[in-house]
Amino acid sequence: MPQPDLWRTTTFRLTLVLGGVFTAGIVALLGLIYWSTASYLVVQMDQIVIGQARGLEAIPPEALPAMITATEREDVRGVNYYGLFGPNGTWVAGNVRRLPPSVIVDGRPRELKEKGFQPGARALAERLPWGEVLFVGFDAKTLSGVRRILERSLIVSGALIFIIGLGLSAAVSLDPLRRVRQIQRASEPILAGDVSARLPISARQDELDMLASIANRMMDEVERLLWQVKSVGDHVAHDLRTPLNRLRALLYRMRQDRPELDADAGPLDQALQETDTLLARFKAIQRIGEIDRRERRAGFGAVRLDELLEELAAFFEPLAEDRGVDLQLHVHETRETLADRELLFEAVGNLVANATKFTPPGGSIQLALTCSRRGPAIEVIDNGPGVPEDERQAVFERFYRGRAALGTPGSGLGLSIVAAIARLHGFRLRLADAGPGLRVTLECWPADG
Amino acid sequence: MTSILAIEDDEATAREIVSELTSHGFHVEWVADGREGLIRATSKRFDAITLDRMLPGIDGLTIVTILRNANIHTPVLMISALTQVDERVRGLRAGGDDYLTKPFASEEMAARLEVLLRRQGAPARETILRVGGLELDLVTREARFGGSDARLLPTEFKLLEFLMRNAGQLLTRTMIFESVWGYYFDPGTNLVDVHLGRLRRKLEALGAPPLIQTVRGAGYTLRAAA
Repeated sequence: MPQPDLWRTTTFRLTLVLGGVFTAGIVALLGLIYWSTASYLVVQMDQIVIGQARGLEAIPPEALPAMITATEREDVRGVNYYGLFGPNGTWVAGNVRRLPPSVIVDGRPRELKEKGFQPGARALAERLPWGEVLFVGFDAKTLSGVRRILERSLIVSGALIFIIGLGLSAAVSLDPLRRVRQIQRASEPILAGDVSARLPISARQDELDMLASIANRMMDEVERLLWQVKSVGDHVAHDLRTPLNRLRALLYRMRQDRPELDADAGPLDQALQETDTLLARFKAIQRIGEIDRRERRAGFGAVRLDELLEELAAFFEPLAEDRGVDLQLHVHETRETLADRELLFEAVGNLVANATKFTPPGGSIQLALTCSRRGPAIEVIDNGPGVPEDERQAVFERFYRGRAALGTPGSGLGLSIVAAIARLHGFRLRLADAGPGLRVTLECWPADG
Repeated sequence: MTSILAIEDDEATAREIVSELTSHGFHVEWVADGREGLIRATSKRFDAITLDRMLPGIDGLTIVTILRNANIHTPVLMISALTQVDERVRGLRAGGDDYLTKPFASEEMAARLEVLLRRQGAPARETILRVGGLELDLVTREARFGGSDARLLPTEFKLLEFLMRNAGQLLTRTMIFESVWGYYFDPGTNLVDVHLGRLRRKLEALGAPPLIQTVRGAGYTLRAAA
């Protein structure tokens, strides 16, 4: 399952996009302010330049240089440019020593593009009636000041918006992310096969909750259907057992009433035997359902596996001896294992019963307790025909009987019961080739994943 | 006459219980309701009770709990459709003496009830069990017949003890497996047979007559040779 990533959450991305749009808006706003201020200032500066030129025009030619010098002195800010040039372009007065070449002498204010002036500065030049050229300029200090202020605001606010936006996106994404992780954790048992688990739903009723509740409704349906499928078999088994028991009771009574029949092969005895076989199979089907439905760990306790195997060996030894099979037990003391003792006895008993059934007379069965780093394992090894590789999965299914089992009595349910018990414990059951024969290993530690 | 109270709400099952137990020579009273059953069980003496786990009115677990609290120790065979092992444990812990799951073979039900009736009567203090010349020493765990004796393996001892304590009584394979080995699943038919066969051979080696008899289609019984 992919790990939920902070940077990938919808909330985080949305917040980030919003932050971007906001920043763009601020840039546009500041740009607009700058542009309007600039055009406003251009008009202002032009009027200042024209006004000053008008004031100076009116001064008589002989007093003009002194007037310019005086005016310059008043300009503490240093924003005004003045220049008075002779008809041949020689400097007469003012702080501009040379008429900038780009200036057109027509009395209209224009932007000063020469070096040495601030960008955006405005100036005009006009020819005075007596032939001299008057140059009046106004530096764009205000404009560049405004621009600097706007630039700084832009950088500071941009950085703030970026940092705050990032932090905010992360903060608002954390909660949905936490809940997604919660949902992920809650879904793990479902993926592991526990269809009764459900996703958590908060009181907020937001879109995550809606999705979770949709998923939960789906799980309800899945569970109901699974339950139905499972219980059909159980119900059939249960419902058929009642009439079968009555049938058996009838046959039994008929048999009791005819004590003179002594031969085992009589049709009545055969009918009784067949009924018993049927009943045993239905019981086995019900047993699988019962184990599957069983509350996990209800009957769990600390089990000494070595003692369990000793008991099993004692239980099966007469049967093995009857069949001419050598049952060998290899155990050593181990620490206790958390398990349902009775079910484990049933499971391993089934394995040993199978081994006894399929091992030819003269063969041997090893019932062994092995220990690995991860925990103890129970092994049942026979030297019978074994189970071919392609059948090893199928033999755990209900009613499946291997090719080697043809011709032997049995229902094909024993290993399904073993598998159900292993499933309940979370233990793994492995079949392998014992060359020749079958090696069944029940790993008595919870298999992860 | 031995009288049995059957508390069972399912009519078909009840009819089966009544007819089976009547054929065993018992007098059976049938009650379909839990409350009525409790009243009957407390007001009159019965030798044994079959009690359905799930009943209208008061359920079986409650009935058996009330009976035991009221110091009424009539043997109770609990009958239930609940097959889970923990259900059995709950039933027995509440004071039931045996637990049988539905559907059941009626002769198995009768056999279990007879074992309960016998357990009630027999004193548990003896140290030697005797049936038809065969002796089982509960202290030394030896079987004796005539002058010869044999040491028994733990399982063989438990098996013979169960058979002898219930001598003359039909014991099904399930009952034997549950009592001797203490497990409650179906071990397959012939495992119990094999153990009994081995015990039989051991007893015959002592020179004892064939005391353990196979009851065809039902189980075993140990009885003194007629």
